[in-house]
Amino acid sequence: MSILAYNGAAIMAMKGKNCVAIAADRRFGIQAQTVSMDFDKVFEMGPNLYIGLPGLATDVQTVHSRLKFRLNMYELRENRRIKPKTFMSMVSNLLYERRFGPYFVEPVIAGLDPKTGEPYIASMDLIGCPMETNDFVVSGTCSEQMYGMCESLWEPDLEPDDLFETISQALMNAFDRDAVSGWGAVVYIIEKDKVTKKMLKTRQD
Amino acid sequence: MSERYSFSLTTFSPSGKLVQIEYALAAVAGGAPSVGIKATNGVVLATEKKQKSVLYDEHSIHKIEPVTRGIGMVYSGMGPDFRVLTTRARKLASQYNLTYQEQIPVDQLVQKVANVMQEFTQSGGVRPFGVSLLLAGWNADEEKPYLYQCDPSGAHFAWKATAMGRNHVNGKTFLEKRYSDKLELEDAVHTAILTLKESFEGQMTEDNIEIGICDSTGFRRLSPSEIKDYLASVS
Amino acid sequence: MAAPCVEPAKGGFSFENCSRNARFEQMGLKFPKAYKTGTTIAGVIYKDGVVLGADTRATEDTVVADKNCAKIHYISDNIYCCGAGTAADTEMTTQMISGQLELHRLATGRAPRVCTANRLLKQMLFRYQGYIGAALVLGGVDSTGPNLYSIWPHGSTDKLPYVTMGSGSLAAMATFEDRFKPNMTKEEAMKLVRDAIAAGIFNDLGSGSNVDLCVITKDKVEYIRPHEIANAKGVKQGRYLYKRGTTATLSSDVKKIEFDVIGTEVKTSAQPMDTQ
Repeated sequence: MSILAYNGAAIMAMKGKNCVAIAADRRFGIQAQTVSMDFDKVFEMGPNLYIGLPGLATDVQTVHSRLKFRLNMYELRENRRIKPKTFMSMVSNLLYERRFGPYFVEPVIAGLDPKTGEPYIASMDLIGCPMETNDFVVSGTCSEQMYGMCESLWEPDLEPDDLFETISQALMNAFDRDAVSGWGAVVYIIEKDKVTKKMLKTRQD
Repeated sequence: MSERYSFSLTTFSPSGKLVQIEYALAAVAGGAPSVGIKATNGVVLATEKKQKSVLYDEHSIHKIEPVTRGIGMVYSGMGPDFRVLTTRARKLASQYNLTYQEQIPVDQLVQKVANVMQEFTQSGGVRPFGVSLLLAGWNADEEKPYLYQCDPSGAHFAWKATAMGRNHVNGKTFLEKRYSDKLELEDAVHTAILTLKESFEGQMTEDNIEIGICDSTGFRRLSPSEIKDYLASVS
Repeated sequence: MAAPCVEPAKGGFSFENCSRNARFEQMGLKFPKAYKTGTTIAGVIYKDGVVLGADTRATEDTVVADKNCAKIHYISDNIYCCGAGTAADTEMTTQMISGQLELHRLATGRAPRVCTANRLLKQMLFRYQGYIGAALVLGGVDSTGPNLYSIWPHGSTDKLPYVTMGSGSLAAMATFEDRFKPNMTKEEAMKLVRDAIAAGIFNDLGSGSNVDLCVITKDKVEYIRPHEIANAKGVKQGRYLYKRGTTATLSSDVKKIEFDVIGTEVKTSAQPMDTQ
């Protein structure tokens, strides 16, 4: 079993029209044993900026707090909100510093530019190789299923409400075919003036 | 009295001064004059570059140096100290660029350089830098030009226009009279030359002054022929 | 949550997780794979410059992780570098060397030379004994004319008129060996590199999607991305949009965001909405 699959996770992000969405499952398990169904894997990094951290749960929380620290230092030092792309470089550097002894997380970043409101999504491997796309990014134990769902469901310029349906269905149908992720899901729809957080009703098996 | 407190730069005098820093400022005040002016669409840096002998090859040395593509620096005071700071500033800017994949904003660079200068007022085995710096840059976020000064103590501040070095009091008085918020870069270059002229002894030529300009496209040093054209239009 | 966050600012790699990760391996947990750029990259020297080429597929084991990634990296205004191997390594290595060359450019006041970039890259890779898995094709034009190098992960380099790298290097090299000739025109060179990359895309599983080209001449760089969409995605026949309200939700919170309205800041706190 891969270390990344030890606790199980499924996270994806999608671009819409002037909005982005990021969705994650809620399960925390130890291999096949489910421990809790309210585990946070998506974290707020700014009003318009979120990061999803699938992978080894201990590293999810360590990476999150290290990132929050670096981000807080950046925003205090520079007295401005970080751009999603700059934040991506920050995450990438944190992971690549541990190139030869990595954290077992493969982050997904979703956000809007604080000034222009331009949608931004990116994902990364565990040693911080960035991947920016124009459609969607996925990461987690059922990435193959998620790729399949996203390739067929996603289309350009979705309105926030349609983006919500698309990302929710893509995520749920993907992790229903994965034993170690699921058990509830959370979706954030990020728009310039508001962020909507929705908890999904999913299968509990 | 003050000599008793000058053996170690980290020892305060009873009046609360670090005399070594005062001496460093004296080195700056006695150095070649330099001027910085912020215009609406850019910044100009100018400095006097007089050689002690006509035998010097004046094109081999520069007093204005680029730090990044968008930021440039000039100094008054000791040349060798400036070179150390230039190298440090470039490294700091490069480090920032590698970390964030973004050009360093001027204010961030100024803070970092000022930190270096402050360290040299509080560390063992070193002396403060004998230079004051003027940094010019363009803030891409705000789409505005910025002009900063950095002193040997580590103090730093933003200016609309200022003069340093020999005769800086006269230079500042001149700028106070001449400065306007609506100044364009071209006019700012003229004003900078005129400010230098205030205290300039002898004939000003393209070989004994140096000018750098910074706008939204970046920072560059003017070539001697460009300076010659400006000089012709000033006089 | 405990915050193990006090970290001194320092450069270089951190090995703090290594012993822990070795324990994981002992427990029988498998190490995950990093992104690789299975890759076909190539370059040729022609009459007035250098043409670099790359495919755009990134893989994670057998999964295509990125269908349109950029493998031609910026080194300096006159030098570019194609990367194959571990994607993070090629990305970070080229960035680091690019930074060093920029400092070199500022210190010397001259455009950096390709042999300088080559030397910095090979010294860095040799220092890491092949553990930084970057296989590179470095090309550029400097005061000595066009230059082309291939650099291996262990730090050895070749200076040749035409080079290929990556898993598709055999397919690409076959094309070059067949059709390369000295002093080609720009069009000939671009066509040749395009065909070499296409050979990789269609015959090597690690390479795919589009052809990127970068043409460097004495005073101009043309970064053509994509030069050719070799594999266009088919047009979707149907729409699979779910009707709004399909997904059952347990709760929905709207968090308003404070944002500037012509300089005035409006702050609204989070307000819970009704649940289903």
